[in-house]
Amino acid sequence: MKKFTNLLRKEIKELVTKQLIVSLVLFIVLFNFIGQVSKKEVQKAIGVQPISALDEDGSAASKALLKGLESARFKVLDQSGKTKDDALETARAGGSKLLLVIPKGFGGSLAALQPIEIETYSFMRSFSLIGARGQVVVGGVISALNEALSDSFLKEKLPGLDPQSLKKPIKSRDFVVVRDRLAEGSASMVAGMISQQSLLIPIVLMMIVMYSSQMVISAVAMEKQNKTLETLLTVPIKRTSIITAKMLAAGLVGLISAGVYMFAFKGFYGGIGEEVAQAGAQAGGPALMQKLGLTFDTTGYIVLGLSLFLAILVALALAMILGVLAEDFRSAQNMIMPLVFMVMIPYFVSLFADLDTVALPVKIFILAIPFTHPFLVSQNLYLGNYGMIAAGLGYMALVFAVLVVFAARVFSTDKILTMKLRLGKKKTAAA
Amino acid sequence: MPNVLTVRGLKKSYGQKTALAGIDFEVRPGEVFALIGPNGAGKTTTLRIIATLLAATEGEIRFLDRDHRKEPDFVREKISYLPEEAGAYRDMKGLDYLHFMANFYARSPEEEKEFVDRAVAVAGLGDRLGTKVGTYSKGMTRKLLLARALMTRPTLAILDEPTSGLDVINALEVREIVRRYVREGTSVLLSSHNMLEIEFLSDRVALIDKGRILDSGTPAGLKEKHRAPNLEEVFRSSLR
Ligand SMILES: Nc1ncnc2c1ncn2[C@@H]1O[C@H](COP(=O)(O)OP(=O)(O)OP(=O)(O)O)[C@@H](O)[C@H]1O
Ligand SMILES: [Mg+2]
Repeated sequence: MKKFTNLLRKEIKELVTKQLIVSLVLFIVLFNFIGQVSKKEVQKAIGVQPISALDEDGSAASKALLKGLESARFKVLDQSGKTKDDALETARAGGSKLLLVIPKGFGGSLAALQPIEIETYSFMRSFSLIGARGQVVVGGVISALNEALSDSFLKEKLPGLDPQSLKKPIKSRDFVVVRDRLAEGSASMVAGMISQQSLLIPIVLMMIVMYSSQMVISAVAMEKQNKTLETLLTVPIKRTSIITAKMLAAGLVGLISAGVYMFAFKGFYGGIGEEVAQAGAQAGGPALMQKLGLTFDTTGYIVLGLSLFLAILVALALAMILGVLAEDFRSAQNMIMPLVFMVMIPYFVSLFADLDTVALPVKIFILAIPFTHPFLVSQNLYLGNYGMIAAGLGYMALVFAVLVVFAARVFSTDKILTMKLRLGKKKTAAA
Repeated sequence: MPNVLTVRGLKKSYGQKTALAGIDFEVRPGEVFALIGPNGAGKTTTLRIIATLLAATEGEIRFLDRDHRKEPDFVREKISYLPEEAGAYRDMKGLDYLHFMANFYARSPEEEKEFVDRAVAVAGLGDRLGTKVGTYSKGMTRKLLLARALMTRPTLAILDEPTSGLDVINALEVREIVRRYVREGTSVLLSSHNMLEIEFLSDRVALIDKGRILDSGTPAGLKEKHRAPNLEEVFRSSLR
């Protein structure tokens, strides 16, 4: 144990370099900065925005339309009395994002229930989605007006009838059933919320897999490059300890870096995310999830954490083997790609397919990928498939054990040294 | 007293290539035994097998009367190995490196300190032990590694070309260090292609070429047998 901690300490010290710390700090600072800037932009976009309006009609109806826009937090710059070309020019010069042209006869046509066109000109000074928001809102205001107009028309022509029941004669009340729980709400909303919840898992997993694998590989490559591996392998310490120390160090440092990156990312996402997300969040979502029992309790989090941890261990063991077998640092780096794919496959499958409906061979293939199981944890927890969860955890533990034994085997064979030898030969030949 | 090391019929192939074609020798307690031979003779291969790094294809090795192949952990406790091309962790200070390595062998903090103190004396690097290994010259690194190989008083120190890459003065110092340590009860198995160095250092030598032992004995005995003035001539004569 004493020897192991000695080794572990060295491995961690080796991985926590100045470069790593500097890049982590830079990342936080940078992303926070971007987050702050975009937050301001979002606020600007969501805040009062100037739009220009050329009202050629001047009727009560056109005034109502402009009023509607003002209540949607637009500052309407009146261009009345100008020609269309002049108005366009002024709007362009004045920094308006949008020019709205209400043609003459707007009010009259409305009264006569003749379809009428209004024109919108969006000035795209950038191609961000936020910049295009003006037109969307105008569209919304117009459709609200359409609604109101058709309502009043129906009321006028068919008094005593509710226009709503005329337009939508069939109404539905939607219920969702999960196991023995029932709640009012839509299934697509539940699915949406769940996929949003589990979106974090692949991102976290992928980041940790990438960072840790890279670290394990560089830990082995560094020993080879600095010619310290031979000495280390003759020291009285078990090969499995050497492997475990390297993996544990990489796992810990990878976990911490991933945590820092997530934190930085949150600072960034928090900037734009929250406000946009809040605008888009469906009301009553969390309450619905609660009612259906689709929330995590402490046990749920522990199980999910355990599952992620095992997945990381598997990734590390795989990376270890790749690192040892790879001829040099660069080819080892390329070998991370298949690992990343292995994480991507279950992610996309969980997004687009239902594991229960795919063909059996495909299902077996997907379940054989150890990284699939963390994705299934939340589903299985919600659906009460505890056996499946246990099987997933057991399977990952088994794969990990097999990989470690295999890695130790590789560490004990000539391979680990002869690989390095061949490299050394090449170098001297080139020199 | 039994032999520290007995090697019988040792063979090793790398795929198709035969590196060792059957080698026999033994190392006795308290002696310096040297393998001498040209490049590619199989010296490093032999030492690596004995240092538990490579597996032999055939043959038997007994270490302190135990089966070398079956008890690698026991062997690793008792030996130390200085590879032909070795480095120390570049970001560690010299002294930290010695502590790091001593920790694997020491049974108590006192023993660790004893090991490190001995290594400090052997290395003779003074204040430079407080600086990072990455800043050392080749000779300084070699001395640090030699010191670490000898600090634990191993039963058998395996030194692959201990003076490779060193200038005359440093090589001389290293040889003196090795000689002194054997007096203190460590057996040494080393390799070299510098025949003069071997004559100064070794109690017994084995001449090795193309994976075979050509001849072995004390330097004096070999010179007499081949009627040669030095080991270089002995080598040429035994090649015939
Ligand atoms: N990893 C390897 N793969 C294939 N052949 C190898 C490998 N290592 C060594 N050999 C071959 O085995 C033979 C013995 O090599 P070895 O390194 O033991 O020689 P040596 O006596 O130490 O030489 P030198 O004085 O140059 O260090 C050589 O022919 C070498 O090419
Ligand atoms: Mg050699």
